[in-house]
Amino acid sequence: MARQMHQKRTPDFHEEYGSVTLAGGAPLCVATWTYTATQIGIEWNLSPVVRVNPKEWSD
Amino acid sequence: MFFRAARRLVLRKPGLGIRGIHNPGDTAHSKGKIAPYTNYHAQRSYPMPDEPFCTELNAEQRALKEKEKGSWTQLSHAEKVALYRLRFHETFAEMNRRSNEWKTVMGCVFFFCGFTALLIWWQRVYVFPEKPITLTDEWKAKQLQRILDMKGNPVQGLASRWDYEKKEWKK
Repeated sequence: MARQMHQKRTPDFHEEYGSVTLAGGAPLCVATWTYTATQIGIEWNLSPVVRVNPKEWSD
Repeated sequence: MFFRAARRLVLRKPGLGIRGIHNPGDTAHSKGKIAPYTNYHAQRSYPMPDEPFCTELNAEQRALKEKEKGSWTQLSHAEKVALYRLRFHETFAEMNRRSNEWKTVMGCVFFFCGFTALLIWWQRVYVFPEKPITLTDEWKAKQLQRILDMKGNPVQGLASRWDYEKKEWKK
């Protein structure tokens, strides 16, 4: 009936797969958002300062 | 704290709580297997469970509980530990151990955020209308020149950032 004080615990789901999930999810998120934000033609309409060179407009 | 009070109110009704059996032999390895409808619940902020962890005792354990009624100086260390384990599922150290759950949680959060990016990509392809002419690069360049000609916001805004002598943006 006397039990050991420190039981050997079988690893739970988070110990087995937590790091993998984190290490996979974060780069995936960064990659997909970088692609979405830059490569597919979404207009962000950022400030023209420094970014746009003016062009003559009056014909 | 309030969840605990609500829990007790709900589970006090007869018939709702199945008394936990909790054979101490297998609790060491079955920490996820506590029946959901037992009244045993301990947490760091309220470590006083309504009932002992093991309620159905074998003969040996019943004898130990009888011995507990006497002077506790007669109990050996192992017996004291056994009595603790009968009454409580885990020690404070075990109960308060940290876990890696945050990694799973954050990993899933990032995963679904990334999935959202795919949804927005689909939207860009199939839902977004044609880009208006006013947002093309050529139009924006001409619009910028017109604003600079009109000296729009010359104090702190757009025209103040433009160097009219050198015809370039101020550094």
